[in-house]
Amino acid sequence: MKWWSLLFAVVILVEVVFVLLAPLVGWGLPPNYASYGSEIDNLFHLILALTGIVFILTEAILIYNMYRFARSDGRRSQYTHGHHRLEIIWTAVPAVILLFIAFAQVGAWERVKYKSRMPPADQVFEVSARQFEWRVRYPSAERMDDPKLVETFAREAQENKKQVDDVHRVNEIHVWKGGQVRVYLKTRDVLHSFFLPHLRIKQDAVPGKTIPVWFDTAGPEAEANFIYDPSSRTWKETKPLELACAELCGWGHYKMRGKLFIHESKEDFIRWLKHAAAEQNATKD
Amino acid sequence: MSAKHEAVTHAHPELSFLRKYIFSTDHKVIGIQFLISGLIFLLIGGGLALVFRIQLAWPYSEIPLLGRWFWAGPAGGRMPPETYNMLFSMHATIMIFFVIIPLLTGAFGNFTIPLMIGAPDMAFPRLNMMSYWFMWPAFAIILASFFVEGGAAGQGWTSYPTLASATMPAGEGLQSPAAPNSGLGQIFWLLALIFVGISSMAGSVNYITTVVNMRAPGMTMFRMPMTIWAMFITAILQAMALPVLTVALILQLLDKTLNTTFFLPPGGLPFGNWTTGPGGGQTLLWQHLFWFYSHPAVYIMILPAMGMVSDIIATFSRKPLFGYKPMVYAIAGIAGLGFIVWGHHMFMSGMDPRLGTGFMIATIMIALPSAVKVFNWLGTTWQANIHFSTAMLNALAFVSMFIIGGLSGIFMAATPVDIAIHDTYFIVAHIHYVLFMSSIFGIFAAIHYWYPKMFGRRMNEFWGKVHFALTFIFANGVFFPMHIFGIGLAPRRYYNHLEYDFLTHLQPLNVFMTISALLLGVAQVIFLVNFFGSLFSRRVEERNPWHSNTLEWTAPSPPPHGNFETTPVVYRGPYEYASPDSAEDYLPQTATPNGQPHPTGAPVHAH
Repeated sequence: MKWWSLLFAVVILVEVVFVLLAPLVGWGLPPNYASYGSEIDNLFHLILALTGIVFILTEAILIYNMYRFARSDGRRSQYTHGHHRLEIIWTAVPAVILLFIAFAQVGAWERVKYKSRMPPADQVFEVSARQFEWRVRYPSAERMDDPKLVETFAREAQENKKQVDDVHRVNEIHVWKGGQVRVYLKTRDVLHSFFLPHLRIKQDAVPGKTIPVWFDTAGPEAEANFIYDPSSRTWKETKPLELACAELCGWGHYKMRGKLFIHESKEDFIRWLKHAAAEQNATKD
Repeated sequence: MSAKHEAVTHAHPELSFLRKYIFSTDHKVIGIQFLISGLIFLLIGGGLALVFRIQLAWPYSEIPLLGRWFWAGPAGGRMPPETYNMLFSMHATIMIFFVIIPLLTGAFGNFTIPLMIGAPDMAFPRLNMMSYWFMWPAFAIILASFFVEGGAAGQGWTSYPTLASATMPAGEGLQSPAAPNSGLGQIFWLLALIFVGISSMAGSVNYITTVVNMRAPGMTMFRMPMTIWAMFITAILQAMALPVLTVALILQLLDKTLNTTFFLPPGGLPFGNWTTGPGGGQTLLWQHLFWFYSHPAVYIMILPAMGMVSDIIATFSRKPLFGYKPMVYAIAGIAGLGFIVWGHHMFMSGMDPRLGTGFMIATIMIALPSAVKVFNWLGTTWQANIHFSTAMLNALAFVSMFIIGGLSGIFMAATPVDIAIHDTYFIVAHIHYVLFMSSIFGIFAAIHYWYPKMFGRRMNEFWGKVHFALTFIFANGVFFPMHIFGIGLAPRRYYNHLEYDFLTHLQPLNVFMTISALLLGVAQVIFLVNFFGSLFSRRVEERNPWHSNTLEWTAPSPPPHGNFETTPVVYRGPYEYASPDSAEDYLPQTATPNGQPHPTGAPVHAH
């Protein structure tokens, strides 16, 4: 019954082909806009390549054995309890590969997540999550010139203080292309997770904590998706980018959707911020 | 010999039906009890998955049959999102705590340990009976929880605070302001798991003691079959990790019922019209306590299957297990490292990222003992004489699929990559390749392998193979595309992925997975009919149908209460297949070496 090997071979082969073809029909990682994103994607592909080789080799040996050493009457198996040198080789070689994989990650992880390694920010805002929306607090355009803004804003976020001229938006993340962004992430009720798939950033929001998050839109493929049209004085969204919740937060978890708007420049962003502030003041009265 | 036989029957008088099959202290009966209840819960847990898979493939569609019964009226036969949360949460809870752990340790741990080490029973037969009967309050509570106000728990099998733990202000009742099914449903969930924990704890103490104290003469530790090594190490893992989960469950239960604030941060949490009382605790504390148990639990859910599969592969390869000692060390290595990797579930949790670096390196290194095991299984089939029984096919599927599940774990362990794929379908694919494609195939293999010993009958091989082939194909159809869905960064636990522009183009994958899942469900009918139907088949008195070496095959099928006519004496390791010392291609552990007299055998211990 050596043909059982065929069932295994076909299933494994279909899976290998599927993995190889999926990106061609667009079933791959979403486009990346962040400067560190290609590093993450490259590490992903490095692991995919290494595990892929191991996968194909081990499955091939298993299927070969099933075919070649299928029962035949009169044959006797080789009488062996193991092979010392083989054991050492197949322990040491994977150990080296795994250590290589592990240490290859450290740099990228430190750059993206370590607070001490986060670059100076051009922009800062606070995201406060709740069931089932993202409330975003931007410092006013006037405060954007303050060189100490990030520090004072971090303190405000920590102490739950607000300023009268803050600009509040719900489910809207506004940044500009190439900007370095610092977010102070909080939640009012349960765990949520701030996930921007195109910026390869994810961070849980934890009740009682204010967590700094860094990301940028400075990747080589980054493009603005929120374009100001001076003639009509309106903004146009050219491509939808999304903010998703990646930690179960209740029945509405799946629709805790925000939008990411990337402006073409800081000037464009400031223009929008002033516009949003004006809108906010108009509704106050 | 006949005098010995009388002594045995004398020590175990015929018991009443109730004492023999229901309140039994016989490890084999208890094992079979765990097996039957585990299979029933496998049906329930699988059924829940099929229902929510329909919603995932065709969002907001009317659910056939069930829709009319449960969600008639304003819902229009459609599944509400909180029900979806409940279904996937209970699917995972049931599969982990009521199916895989009880089947691997409860059913097969119980059945195999005394038989394979040559003992008449467990060290503590009454404790053993208690460990099964503590499952029944858990069964009752978890099933009843579906009918309480708000429905069964829907906070995921991880039940993270504060969604799971938030309570109304003191005096306002047991409902939760955070979610409708986080009130009584969550309390029932906590209670049920506490009972499961006590059951497993009693079992593991028993297994450890039995393996250490009750081995037959000549059965040294390094003559024990891999199944026993795996069960032994798993029991140690369980005994060390479970108390932490039990404590965590009790803390959350206190938060929910007595308004303590172990997991509630300072300041109250506002939910709509309600604000919880002020807290003083730590939300992240739960995750540390939970994963300190639940990561080792992942190994509890795979190591016994690895052990059983090793024995099955050696038996049907007619070849000694390749690298027996490295295999033992690998299991011990997995178990040891398993205690220092729990933080890899928490890379994105707000835990200090510097801790993440350490947890990452430990986690990636745990792939090493797993790799060693795979290479040794490949070594066992090399130059072998493979008999393709149903048990062997399922065992080979275990190896083949564990390779996928093992390798895919490395992606999440790599912290930067985890930033992207954390809590996406990639992790869902990974855990199903480990828990379904590996553990469940291991369980199918073990059922086919030990069925003749359990019942003195055989399962139908033809239908066993049909079931295997269909399950292998459809299960890959369900779980493999989840990797691709995850690489598209589709978050898990979403009621409807079509809400997101960046996910809509992946929807054909969801449809394909659901169709495969439904077919996978249908294919299991073959197994059920084969399993239960074979109970009524012709009795086969054969003791050793697979020509295997280990001790259980020297006992009658099924073995009587007390197992062996005489205490077996062990002369060699369990893997002497194709040995030049024997004309046959196997050499049982009890076969007397050439030139030595047949042992008279010591009488079975009275107990």
